[in-house]
Amino acid sequence: MGRYVVARLIQSIPVLILVSVISFGIMKLVPGDPAVLIGGPTATPAELDNIRQNLGLDQPFHVQMGRFYAGLARGDLGRSLLLGKPVLEATIERIPVSLSIALYSMVLTLFLGISCGVIAALKRNSWADQAAMAFALIGVSLPNFWLGLMLIILFSVHLGWLPTGGYVPWQNDPVGWFRTATMPAVTLALLQVGLLARITRSTMLEVLRQDYIRTARAKGLPEFLVIAKHAFKNVMIPVITVIGVIFSVLLSGSVVVESVFSVPGIGSLLGSAVLRRDYPMIQGGLLFVATALLMLNLLVDVLYAYFDPRVRYDSRS
Amino acid sequence: MSHARKTWKFTLLAAVSAAAFGVTAASAQQFSCPRKGGTLVFAQEAKVNSLDQYTSSTISTRNVAMNMYEALMTRDENMNPIPELAEKVTASEDGMTYTFNLRRGVKFHNGKTMTTEDVVASFDRYKKVGIDRGILDVVDKWEAPDAHTFIIRMKVAQPTFLENFSSFSVPIVITPKENTDAPPMQMKPIGTGPFEFVEFVADSHVRIKRFDGYVPNPAYKDIDGFGGYKVACLDQVVFRIVTEPGARVAGLETGEFHGAEDVPAKSQAALKANPNIVLKPLQNFWVQIATPNLSFPPTDNLKVRQAIQAALDMEEIMEAATDGAYRLNIGFQYPGQAFYTEAGKETYNQKNIAKAKKLLQDGGYKGEKLILLTNKDYTNMYTAALVMSEQLKAIGMNVELLVMDWPASVQKQQNTTDGWNFFFTGYGTNTSLGGIAALRFHAPPFNTYKPKKEDGPDKEFVEHFNAIANGKTLDERKAAFAKAQARVLDQVLALPFGSLTKVQVVRSNVENFRPFRIPRMSNVWIKG
Repeated sequence: MGRYVVARLIQSIPVLILVSVISFGIMKLVPGDPAVLIGGPTATPAELDNIRQNLGLDQPFHVQMGRFYAGLARGDLGRSLLLGKPVLEATIERIPVSLSIALYSMVLTLFLGISCGVIAALKRNSWADQAAMAFALIGVSLPNFWLGLMLIILFSVHLGWLPTGGYVPWQNDPVGWFRTATMPAVTLALLQVGLLARITRSTMLEVLRQDYIRTARAKGLPEFLVIAKHAFKNVMIPVITVIGVIFSVLLSGSVVVESVFSVPGIGSLLGSAVLRRDYPMIQGGLLFVATALLMLNLLVDVLYAYFDPRVRYDSRS
Repeated sequence: MSHARKTWKFTLLAAVSAAAFGVTAASAQQFSCPRKGGTLVFAQEAKVNSLDQYTSSTISTRNVAMNMYEALMTRDENMNPIPELAEKVTASEDGMTYTFNLRRGVKFHNGKTMTTEDVVASFDRYKKVGIDRGILDVVDKWEAPDAHTFIIRMKVAQPTFLENFSSFSVPIVITPKENTDAPPMQMKPIGTGPFEFVEFVADSHVRIKRFDGYVPNPAYKDIDGFGGYKVACLDQVVFRIVTEPGARVAGLETGEFHGAEDVPAKSQAALKANPNIVLKPLQNFWVQIATPNLSFPPTDNLKVRQAIQAALDMEEIMEAATDGAYRLNIGFQYPGQAFYTEAGKETYNQKNIAKAKKLLQDGGYKGEKLILLTNKDYTNMYTAALVMSEQLKAIGMNVELLVMDWPASVQKQQNTTDGWNFFFTGYGTNTSLGGIAALRFHAPPFNTYKPKKEDGPDKEFVEHFNAIANGKTLDERKAAFAKAQARVLDQVLALPFGSLTKVQVVRSNVENFRPFRIPRMSNVWIKG
């Protein structure tokens, strides 16, 4: 297993290099530059030229690229053109925000998604199945900015239970964190619940048709044990793959949801960077997200081995 | 020469006497806070890039930063130049030397007392990285003979120098000398203003707090534009970045925000009916405008441009673009401004379809594509283009919208003369700064109307524009401005649609908040 993990980590290096090259190249091909955003709509062309000069954007493409990779070799991802701070620092500042909301959202997604999926499978073709799948479908279908605004109107304006937006760090005020993180987490979760519920349902239905389930029932095992012990663990193998994808989506954040709720997470950081052509921030941020996804994929692969004893990552396999 | 002397004296006397009057009146009743304390939360739409005021001309930066920074001179409520950190400004009779006597005892947020050493260092940094450093091109050098006297020596006399010098677009704010080595975008926000910096979390908020060491300008009795007698009544102010308009409205309704700006017009009726909320419209925030490309057909043809101008219904365009928050406005200044003129009135808002069609015919228009370059980042620009395209289709033009994001559209407008005919934008800060700034985009080296290389810039316009800058008296400069505006409109070097009203909103417990080009947090308090 250890050798497998090391091999996968080494394999990820060229992937990350490719990500950085592509992100650098693509962003330079996109028209527009950050000077326009720094200058605002009323900046004069001379002001824009001065900004470009200040930021080194007047340098040739190869010089800018050379600087980026020279910095990368030293572990320096560069400095955000717009935030005026190191990319690494700006990214690290956002990790706790996105991670905490992603985890909160993941808990909600797992609870709702797996519950809906299992109930729908066990009560196949009943009203419970229809209701669970309808709930899942609505979550997937609603535009997240609309859902976010509806939650604000309901829980902030009418009920007054939660603030309209913002973010309070967990370590500063756990209650404040809970109040500010709940609506973004719910909005993000409802988008993913549908996917997870449907995968869980179809997998559970397939598992319930397997011989070992029939055998377990024939042995006279209580239905609860059949489901919990024999069916559920097998359901988890494909579900884990989906969970890995969902968590990577949640972790990289949602530009729309973070904008609606004014959450300073990774999503809004990268979204702003793209819209404002903050090249170093885009490159650094994408490298971070790519690294996180690679690690998550690795974790998912490792978890397969736990849930499915047939999967082994030793040298003989 | 004697004429020139009078001008200089007039300009300076106006500025200095305003200050002197302030001292007299001030002693009677200077502003004092009826109530101190509290944290005011203000929701703003645009993200703050940086608080380095030298390297940003965005409104979002200025909104926050100009509550912390001050300059030697700034603008008053009516956009006239006034002293701020300078106690007195004196110009030599030949206009080649300006002497600024600093106010004594002014403290920086780091506790240090301001001297000319800091002023010199701040000017040095501005000259190096200030994005509007071109305003100092006419300056030969600056020097500080003592701790309280700062002298600017000019290369050439420029009658409008103080007008440029006091611009709040990218103001020459004064920061401690030890702070001036910072690279662009990275300067710590240390100034002399009534509020000092606490924290900046990008995309989330900026928090500032009352600077207890602040020394108000005794020449005034109340806040006046960016200057005046400023007092921080609030303990703290939090500028929350809330990009979603619905969330800003919701936050106002719940009381989570004490104030907000850029409230959508559609929500304003409901907010107006709410007794807990007060709307503070700021008329004439910017001129909604489209600039043509004279190097690309069919807008290289004057008759075609005039046909377009004749067809437009500005009320319809502005109504749609601003959801009703607008005023019809001829040209590039607003009523009440010194340079305001109705010159060129006959070209504005004609809605004359028959005339437009006749001009198209006379111009030999054969259905060539007319490309309107716009963006969706600023929805008013997109909507203006959309309505204009429909109006031009009605006169038989073949119109196409080219929609990009804002940076891409600006780059295309600046770097290419192919593939577009009109570029949609807004003139905000520059229009408010006065005549010379309002028309600078049309003059060399900018020439936003993209004249053909073989033709060069419009000579008649350039002549009038230079006269605005160099006219000896204000009347001469105003007359030149009127001619320049008339020329721009006659030759359709720009299509100003009207002026946009920006709406700032506060909760009814926020007292003394007066709408302005930035949300001013001085002399504002929250009722208990």
